[in-house]
Amino acid sequence: MEPDVSIETSSVIRIAVLPIGTVPPGLLREYQTMLLRQQTIPQSAISSFYTEHQKSPFAHQPWDTGSLRFKFILGGAPPSPWEDFQSNRKILAVIGICHCPSSPDLDSVIDQFNSACKSYASALVHRCFAFCPGDSQLEDGSKKGGNLKLFPPADTQTQEMHLQTMMQDVAASLLMEFEKWVLKAESAGTILKTPLDSQASLNSEEVLKAKKRRLARSQKTIGDYCLLAGSPVDASAHYSTSQELARLTGDYFWYAGALEGGVCALLLDRMGQTDLAMEEEVRYRYNSVIVHYRKSFIQDNAQRVSPLSFELEATLKLARFLCRRELAKEVVELLTSAADGAKSLIDASDRLILFVEIARLYGTIGYQRKAAFFSRQIAQLYLQQENRLAAISAMQVLAMTTKAYRVQSRTSTSEHSLPNKQIGSSHVDGGKMHHHSVVSLFESQWSTLQMVVLREILLSAVRAGDPLAAWSAAARLLRSYYPLITPAGQNGLASALSNSADRLPSGTRCADPALPFIRLYSFPLHPSQMDIVKRNPEREDWWAGSAPSGPFIYTPFSKGESNDSSKQDLIWVVGEPIQVLVELANPCGFDLRVDSIYLSVHSGNFDAFPVSVNLPTNSSKVITLSGIPTSVGPVTIPGCMVHCFGVVTEHLFKDVDNLLLGAAQGLVLSDPFRCCGSAKLRNVSFPNISVVPPLPLLVPHVGGGDGAIILYEGEIRDLWINLANAGTVPVEQVHISLSGKNQDCVISVAHETLKAALPLKPGSEVTIPVTLKAWQLGLADPDPAAGKSAFGSMMRHFKDGSSPTVVIHYAGSLSSSGDPSTVGSSVPPGRRLVVPLQICVLQGLSFVKARLLSMEIPAHVGENLPKPVHVDSQSTERAIGSESKLDRLVKIDPFRGSWGLRFLELELSNPTDVVFDISVSVQLENPSNVDNDSADQDAVEYGYPKTRIDRDCSARVLIPLEHFKLPILDGSFFMKDIQADGPTGSRNSSFSEKNAKAELNASIKNLISRIKVRWQSGRNSSGELNIKDAIQAALQASVMDVLLPDPLTFGFRLVRNALEPAKLDSPNELNSSVQSSASKGPVLAHDMTPMEVLVRNNTKDLIKMSLSITCRDVAGENCVEGAKATVLWAGILSGITIEIPPLQEIKHSFSLYFLVPGEYTLVAAALIDDANDILRARARTHSPDEPIFCCGPPYNVRVIGTA
Amino acid sequence: MIVCVAVVGHQNNPLYIQSFTEADDALKLHHIVHCSLDVVDERVNNPKKSGPTLNETFLGLLYPTENYKVYGYLTNTKVKFILVTTDLDVRDADVRNFFRRFHAAYVDAVSNPFHVPGKKITSRTFAERVSTIVKSFGLSSAG
Repeated sequence: MEPDVSIETSSVIRIAVLPIGTVPPGLLREYQTMLLRQQTIPQSAISSFYTEHQKSPFAHQPWDTGSLRFKFILGGAPPSPWEDFQSNRKILAVIGICHCPSSPDLDSVIDQFNSACKSYASALVHRCFAFCPGDSQLEDGSKKGGNLKLFPPADTQTQEMHLQTMMQDVAASLLMEFEKWVLKAESAGTILKTPLDSQASLNSEEVLKAKKRRLARSQKTIGDYCLLAGSPVDASAHYSTSQELARLTGDYFWYAGALEGGVCALLLDRMGQTDLAMEEEVRYRYNSVIVHYRKSFIQDNAQRVSPLSFELEATLKLARFLCRRELAKEVVELLTSAADGAKSLIDASDRLILFVEIARLYGTIGYQRKAAFFSRQIAQLYLQQENRLAAISAMQVLAMTTKAYRVQSRTSTSEHSLPNKQIGSSHVDGGKMHHHSVVSLFESQWSTLQMVVLREILLSAVRAGDPLAAWSAAARLLRSYYPLITPAGQNGLASALSNSADRLPSGTRCADPALPFIRLYSFPLHPSQMDIVKRNPEREDWWAGSAPSGPFIYTPFSKGESNDSSKQDLIWVVGEPIQVLVELANPCGFDLRVDSIYLSVHSGNFDAFPVSVNLPTNSSKVITLSGIPTSVGPVTIPGCMVHCFGVVTEHLFKDVDNLLLGAAQGLVLSDPFRCCGSAKLRNVSFPNISVVPPLPLLVPHVGGGDGAIILYEGEIRDLWINLANAGTVPVEQVHISLSGKNQDCVISVAHETLKAALPLKPGSEVTIPVTLKAWQLGLADPDPAAGKSAFGSMMRHFKDGSSPTVVIHYAGSLSSSGDPSTVGSSVPPGRRLVVPLQICVLQGLSFVKARLLSMEIPAHVGENLPKPVHVDSQSTERAIGSESKLDRLVKIDPFRGSWGLRFLELELSNPTDVVFDISVSVQLENPSNVDNDSADQDAVEYGYPKTRIDRDCSARVLIPLEHFKLPILDGSFFMKDIQADGPTGSRNSSFSEKNAKAELNASIKNLISRIKVRWQSGRNSSGELNIKDAIQAALQASVMDVLLPDPLTFGFRLVRNALEPAKLDSPNELNSSVQSSASKGPVLAHDMTPMEVLVRNNTKDLIKMSLSITCRDVAGENCVEGAKATVLWAGILSGITIEIPPLQEIKHSFSLYFLVPGEYTLVAAALIDDANDILRARARTHSPDEPIFCCGPPYNVRVIGTA
Repeated sequence: MIVCVAVVGHQNNPLYIQSFTEADDALKLHHIVHCSLDVVDERVNNPKKSGPTLNETFLGLLYPTENYKVYGYLTNTKVKFILVTTDLDVRDADVRNFFRRFHAAYVDAVSNPFHVPGKKITSRTFAERVSTIVKSFGLSSAG
């Protein structure tokens, strides 16, 4: 059997093309292609070479329309035993091809050619074409003449013309030879035999038959030559004669041959134009051809030879003729019967050819699966041949089937269906699957067939010695069908992979990935230190609006602009390493060693760093792949390059995504990640990655340890943030802000230090001090044990995120860095550096309670009322300068007229295990800030002796309220208010009370803010107690006593000279005066001492009262009220009824006579009659009938003299 | 005797393929079923032929191959049923009847709420039912 047969094959002249001498293969191919263009030579073109020697037997030669057709057989072919039966099987001409430069001696060329021709006995024409002859050869060759034809060197076109001419000459010569042959055959008759004819001698009866039979055969052969000569009408005539004779003699084989020739002649006559009637005719005749070939089967020699191949060939010819989609059914029937016949074929190569033809025809009518099935049969036949060339053929045939079985190599698909562009743009349509890949997923379920095909490819590739193909097949097999392969089989494939790789040069690439499976895990966002923020050059705060602000992840307002940019965008910086997390899975039963894996980037502006990984059996791993962007522009990462099993492959993320999607839908065998115990499918979308020019990069270092800063509540500490520019661009803009909880614990940040350091050159660094003050622990954590277990709860504090963060926005220069490609684009982005201040606040001193304590020291009764001292700033300052410490604490309450001393007592406990030292300071403040020297006064502070609180102890700290001036300054104001409102009714008073309270609170706050309680613990831990609230609460409780004056003020003085009264008329003077402790008049015993009691009405109403004066000699501390006081002597002057007009004062003179020298106390007291509501309220009386008793402060009288 | 029945999904993916022979010819039967899809495709894509039999689900004899005859059936959801038999004279009515019962069995199997459309049919009930139908095919043709 012959490949590629069709009905027209009978009319094609076979020409052997033989290389003569040495012809380089490339040139030989080139010369052959030139020849192939001359396959059809029109008869009209050869007439000039044709000379009619005798009357041509081809009477109906169609000179205008006919043509001669050639088939060039490179290297020739051995003569077929069926040459006589079908003349077109003969080699009718020989063309030698010689490349002159490599065979200089033309004589030897001619010799070689002649000897080569000898093996082609049937050849009628011989020509040797010599290309590219040298000058001498040209000269030489022209003398030689004969069959040697020299082609002078020329351009291709000219040479082709030359060749065409030569071929026309060959055609003409052949035509003339055919004529000769036909004439000879007609006259002499030739013995035509086929292997089918029996060798046995003929009997007499058969001799006659044999003669007729011979005639029939010769007519058939003449017909063949007519066909070859391109004269179908002549051929038809001869064929019909032959058919008649052959049928008569029962020579069915030749009859069928003649019929076949007749059909060819018919087709040739119609010049390829077919219609339905013609098709029907051909079909009918060919069916009869097939039938007769079958009839000619002779049982005798069936072992040796059989006409079956002709029958099958005829079937294939008809099938090819009919081969159209519409007639698919018919073709299929023909091919099916041909395939059935294959079993009876003796020759394996015949079967091979048959299957090849069947596969091709199935392919032509679109039966891809059938074609693939027969291709596989072909491959099996090849593989039976057990040689390398056959194995290569098998491999190639199998490779063709892979498309139908959907197991094709990526190499074959990438050429047409997957251009690189698509890979690049794959991230755009992220989640969507390509239709193509969906179908292939579905079809990939024919795993039984697919695995067989791949296994056969692997086998044939191994046998063919093509390690790359073997590797690819094993990789496909392993990757796609690992769940169906036993661990032993998987191991076998793994060793097949490594064996193949051993024979490949290192660094070989293969389009088909093997293991592991790789999927994108995540693109880690920038660490917070490297955040990139968009820059708005028009705004001063250029970072604003670029970062998500506020607690909401989604805001409807940012939606509009963010759909194209925000989340899907990833910005990488030239020269700064980036990381991508990928997950690898090895679902197979062997340990997988990935020699190197790195990101595959097609855009060429990225340097990827390879890593190597070991994946144990059935395991998956998330690894970090890193790299450095090298130039500005977009980056796409379609997958990873993997060097595994000795071959470099590209693993596309998209493929695995499709696979996983398929697995989720149950289309694919299994999910490799899931069977390795990895988590469920994550759909990681590819962000748009763009690379921007280098940016500055600040690297922070928090001085005082990178760990947590452990502070006690209220502790104040300085720390240093060291910022180094690790980028390659100077920092030109910078801004510090705070965020997070407890921002107010950062007392100060040295903005100026940072600003002054700009521009911060690459490599340089700046240190900015930051002052912290630890916040109070919340009430949620009141557990006193928390302090002790503070280290255990430290982590909790971090998780709470209660620590503030320092956010530094910085950027390089506004103009882009001179790179022309970026000029058009926006300004380079800035960055955000977030330095979390990891503060862990431990419980420190805890506050138990605060109380306001007041204490009075009796004033001495002197000649004058105490010297008034102005309590304004200057006088205070003077007092500070001149007076002793203790003195400053004591002051005269002008409304009481005594020395008052007030303390704020704080009770503190120390639950921690360290010792605290408490120191109190009060900052002096100038109440009137207009003063020039107010600035330095703000800074003046006073320290008091330190109090030490041991661990687990509590202590009380007294804070003297020395400059508690409020009542003095504002007392009259309040007084007036109350007095003004008092008579008009209680309705308004509530309002004014409120008003007064607000003023009061403001004053208290002012006061409180100046009291600072500092503590120190250990060497470097110090802070301040936050006790403002406590003080306020304490003061609030006793506000009445502190602020509101008593309704009556009492004062005593000695009267030396009654004519010289003290100036006490002016209330102002009184109000603003304090008694100086310096006035100590001597009081002598045994002497009448005239005294005056001064009583002042502080209300706006007339007060009637009964005044009493008590003088006691007391050896106790509290000489006024104490019931237990040891009273040595007492005298009471009582029942003095006086009336005092509003805001006036009266004097009441009296005299005392002291008998015993010593210390005495004078106390004035009054019982107010007809008290009004204000007085009652002031006195906190419970019932309206209760007498209101008003008691003055004690005055001290020292009596000297001899007892 | 029926040697193989198969259900092929509308994307030409095998949903169920079961052979009923003792011999180890699963691969061959797979190939036969796979190749028969060519014929089914051809019948489906050639509207000219399916004109008069527009609603006909039974595709008839797809092709004879070697010792087998392959019959096809196409549901309106483009799911194909393939029957491979070694019987040489099979009455069309028998095959139609077989396919009708097979179709009913298939519909019941995929109506299972736990069945994922497009996935292979793994129901044991379906397999048992199919083998019953296959056995009864032999009986009914004999009788």
